[in-house]
Amino acid sequence: MKKWYAKTYVSLVMIFLYVPIAVLILFSFNASKSRAVWAGFSLKWYRELFHNELILTSLYNTMVVALVASVVATILGTAAALGIYSMKRKWFRSAIMNVTYMPITNPEIVMGVSLLLLFVFMSEKMHLPLELGLGTLIIAHVTFCTPYVILNVLPKLRQIDKFIYEAAMDLGCSPTQAFLKVIIPEIAPGVFAGFIMALTYSVDDFIISYFVSSASSATLPVTIGAMVRKRISPEINALSAIVFVVVLAVLLIYNFISIRHEKQIQKGGGSFR
Amino acid sequence: MSENAIISLRNISVDFDDERVLKSINLDIMDKEFITFLGPSGCGKTTTLRIIGGFVDPCEGDVFFEGKRINGLPPHKRHVNTVFQRYALFPHLNVYENIEFGLKISKLPERERRQRVMEALELVNLKGYERRGIHQLSGGQQQRVAIARAIVNQPKVLLLDEPLGALDLKLRKDMQVELKRIQQSLEITFIYVTHDQEEALTMSDRVVVMKDGNILQIGTPQDIYNEPTNAFVADFIGESNIIDGIMHKDFQVEFANDFFECVDKGFTPMERVQVVIRPEDLKIVSPEGAKITGVVESVIFKGVHYEIMVETLGYRWMIHNTQYVEPGTLIGMSVTPEDIHIMHRMEEEP
Amino acid sequence: MKFRYASAPYVVWSVIFVVVPLFLVVGFAFTDSSGQFTLDNISKVTTYTAVFMRSIWLSVIATVICLLVGYPLAFIMSRCLPSGQRTLTMLIMLPMWINFLLRTYAWMTILEHNGILNTILTTLGFQPLNMINTQGAVVLGMIYNYLPFMILPLYSIMTKISGSVIEAAQDLGANPFLVFARVILPLSMPGVTTGITMVFVPSVSTFIISRMLGGGSNMMIGDLIDAQFLGNAYNPNLGAAISLVLMVIILLFMSILNQFEDSEEKEGMMI
Repeated sequence: MKKWYAKTYVSLVMIFLYVPIAVLILFSFNASKSRAVWAGFSLKWYRELFHNELILTSLYNTMVVALVASVVATILGTAAALGIYSMKRKWFRSAIMNVTYMPITNPEIVMGVSLLLLFVFMSEKMHLPLELGLGTLIIAHVTFCTPYVILNVLPKLRQIDKFIYEAAMDLGCSPTQAFLKVIIPEIAPGVFAGFIMALTYSVDDFIISYFVSSASSATLPVTIGAMVRKRISPEINALSAIVFVVVLAVLLIYNFISIRHEKQIQKGGGSFR
Repeated sequence: MSENAIISLRNISVDFDDERVLKSINLDIMDKEFITFLGPSGCGKTTTLRIIGGFVDPCEGDVFFEGKRINGLPPHKRHVNTVFQRYALFPHLNVYENIEFGLKISKLPERERRQRVMEALELVNLKGYERRGIHQLSGGQQQRVAIARAIVNQPKVLLLDEPLGALDLKLRKDMQVELKRIQQSLEITFIYVTHDQEEALTMSDRVVVMKDGNILQIGTPQDIYNEPTNAFVADFIGESNIIDGIMHKDFQVEFANDFFECVDKGFTPMERVQVVIRPEDLKIVSPEGAKITGVVESVIFKGVHYEIMVETLGYRWMIHNTQYVEPGTLIGMSVTPEDIHIMHRMEEEP
Repeated sequence: MKFRYASAPYVVWSVIFVVVPLFLVVGFAFTDSSGQFTLDNISKVTTYTAVFMRSIWLSVIATVICLLVGYPLAFIMSRCLPSGQRTLTMLIMLPMWINFLLRTYAWMTILEHNGILNTILTTLGFQPLNMINTQGAVVLGMIYNYLPFMILPLYSIMTKISGSVIEAAQDLGANPFLVFARVILPLSMPGVTTGITMVFVPSVSTFIISRMLGGGSNMMIGDLIDAQFLGNAYNPNLGAAISLVLMVIILLFMSILNQFEDSEEKEGMMI
C-alpha cells in the first residue's frame, strides 16, 4: 500500500465499519439513559447487566447449546467427511454434498421456519417429545453446524498422501492403529477448525434459534432480539462492549500465536540452509 | 556509450529494504546478441532484467534504450517483452488468446493478428494447439506459449527470466537448442537469466557473471571458461582445482610445495594468489620425477570420462581422465604452463 | 481406507432435519389448515407483490453498493504485504463476530431522531434529518452487515492472481485500465459471483434489520414470513407458501449467476 489514495480508501471503509461499534462502547459508559447526549462516566449499565436475570439465563442457555451442538456436530461431521471421502459411487457423493451445502446456501429464515414446522409436526402429529426448548435448539444447531465441520475436514482428507496410510500398515500398524496414528493427526487441524467454526456460528445464531426456542430456553441473541424490538436499553451497549473486547482479545491472541509460529518456522527454515 | 548498444546500464544501483542488491552496475548490450546473466540466487541477475523490463526502478543510475534514457517509463510503453519465470500465462485465456493478447492491446486488425499468432505458433512448434486451455498443456508446451506470446509482438529485445528452470533435464536440453534457433531466425536481442552455467555457456554470445550485486566478468563463453578473472568465476563456471599459491616473479608461481612456470605476469613480487587448474588439464604421469604426486582416493565414471580424486599433502585434486586408474595407486600429475591460471585473491568472505 | 459407512448417521440426520423439513414447507404451502390440497396460499402470495419487489430492489441496491465498495478494497488488500493482509483481514472479520443485532442496534442509536448524528447536526446549527425508518436506513444496515461477505471472497480470489500475470499484461503493452479489464476482472469473476450471492441471499431474506431500521412501513419478505409463524397474522400455510416463493426467487437468482460463471469457464476450457 504505497499510494496515498489506497490508504485513504482503506481508512474510510474502516471508519465506516468501526464508528458504530465505537459509539456503542462509548455510550455504554454514559451515566444517563440517553444514547446521544453524554452525561458523564458511569459503570451503571454494566452493574445492571450482571443483575439481569434474563440475560444471565440466556447466556447459560447459549453456552449449553453451543457446547453440546458443536461437539455433536464435530463428531457427526468428521465421521461424515471420512465416509464421503471413501465413497465410491459418484452420484451418491454429489447428492450428499448437495444436501450439505443446503443449510449454508438456503436463507436462514427458511431453515428456521422449516425446522419449526418439523418440530411442531412431530410433537403434534407424531406425539414425539419435541416441544420447543433446549432440545430443539441443539438439534437445529447441530443441523446447521455439521456442514461447516465437513467442509473443514474434507480438504484435509484430500491433502493426505494416500501412501502414508499404506506405509503405516507396512510398518506394522493394524488398520485401526494406522487410522489413529496417521489419519487422525493429519486431519486434526481441520477437525479443530470445524469445531471452532461450529462454536462461533452456534453462539452467534439468531434467526434459526428465534424460530425453534421457547421463552424459557432463549439464547443470548434471541434475548437481545426481543430487547431491541421492544425497547432500547443501554445494558445492550454494555453487553456489546464486553462482546467486542472478548472477541478482540481472542483474535489478538490468535494472531500473536500464529505470527510467533510463523517466525519459528522461518527460523527453522533458515538454519537448514 | 558503445555505438551498437541497444541497451546501456549506467551506474545502476538498487536497494530493497535498505539492502543494496545492485551495486553500481555498468553494462552495454549489443543489438541482436544473445547475452546471459549468470550467477547464484540473490546475485542481482533477475533484478537487472526487471530494470530493463521496467518492473523495478533503479535508485541510482540510468537506463538507455537505443540511446534514449528510459528511466521511469512504465512496462507497457517499452519495446521489450518478457518470458516470465513460471510463464505467467493468463489462466482465463486459451493458447491462441494468450498469444494474441499483446496484439489486441496494440489494436492490430483481426487478419494481421491471426497471421502473426499462427506464425508464432509455427515458430514454437505448437500448431494445432490454439484452442487448448492453459491447464491442458504440459510444462514444456506452456513454456512455448510463453515464448510465442512474447515474440509475437516483435520486440527488439526479449527478456527471459530462468525460462527453463521448471523443466526436466531432457526437455531443458531440447529447449536450449530451440531457443537458440528462435533467436537466430528472429535476429533480435535475447537477454537470458540463469543460474545454470552449462546453459549459459552453450547458448550465449556473451556471458555476464554476477555475484552479490556486482558484475564479476563479462565475456564470451570461451573467455569466461578459459580465462576466469577470479577464483569465484572459475569455480562457478565448471569444476576447478583452486589452490593457494605465491607469485614469486613474472611467469613463476609456487604452489603444492614446488615452483611452476606459467604465462601470467604483472603481479607484485611474492603476492599471495590463487591458482586455478581445470580437472581436464591435469595429466596423469608416472610418479617418478613428477612435481605433484598423490594417492588415488576414489574414481567415479561420469559417462565420457572418469572423475578421479587424488589426495596429496594439504590438497585434494580432481582430475578428469578417460583412462581408469585403480584407487590406492600412487600417481604423478603434470600441467602445462598455459593451463595454470593465476588470480588475485578475493577479499575474505565474512 | 474403508470408512464408507461412517457417513450413515449424518445421512440419516440430514434427511430428517434438512430434507424432510423442506418437503414440509412445500406440503404446508399447498394445503389449508385442515390439511386439504389448495392453491389459495400461493395465489395469496401475489397480494404481497409490493413487499417482494421492495425486498428484491433494496437487496439489489445493497449488493451493488457492496460490490462497488468492496472490490477496490479487496484488490488493495490482496496487493499488501503479508503482515498488512493479515491485519486488514482481521479488521474486516472482527465486526462479523459481533452479533448482527448489536451492530444494527448501533446504527439505530446513530440514525434515530434524537440520535447522535442529529444531535451533532443540531449542535452545529443544521436542521435534523429524517434518517431512521427510511428505505435508505435499511439499505445502509444491509451494507454494514454484509459488506465483509463481499470483501472476503473477492480478497481470497484476488490473492490467487499472481503479480507476474499482471506484470505479463503490462509487459505486453496493457495500460492500467486494460490490465484491469482484460486480466484482473475476468480472473476475479468467481469471487464476484460468490460475493454477490453471499450479500444478496441474506439481504433478500432479512427480517429483523428492516424492522429495526426501516420501522413498520418498510416490511420485507422476512418480516412477512415471521408474522405468519410467530407474529400476529398467524398462518403457517401462507408462511410456508411465502418461504417457498422466496426459495424459488433465490434459486432463480443463483442459476442466473451460475450461467455467468459457467460461460466464463467454458470459454477457457472447451473451445
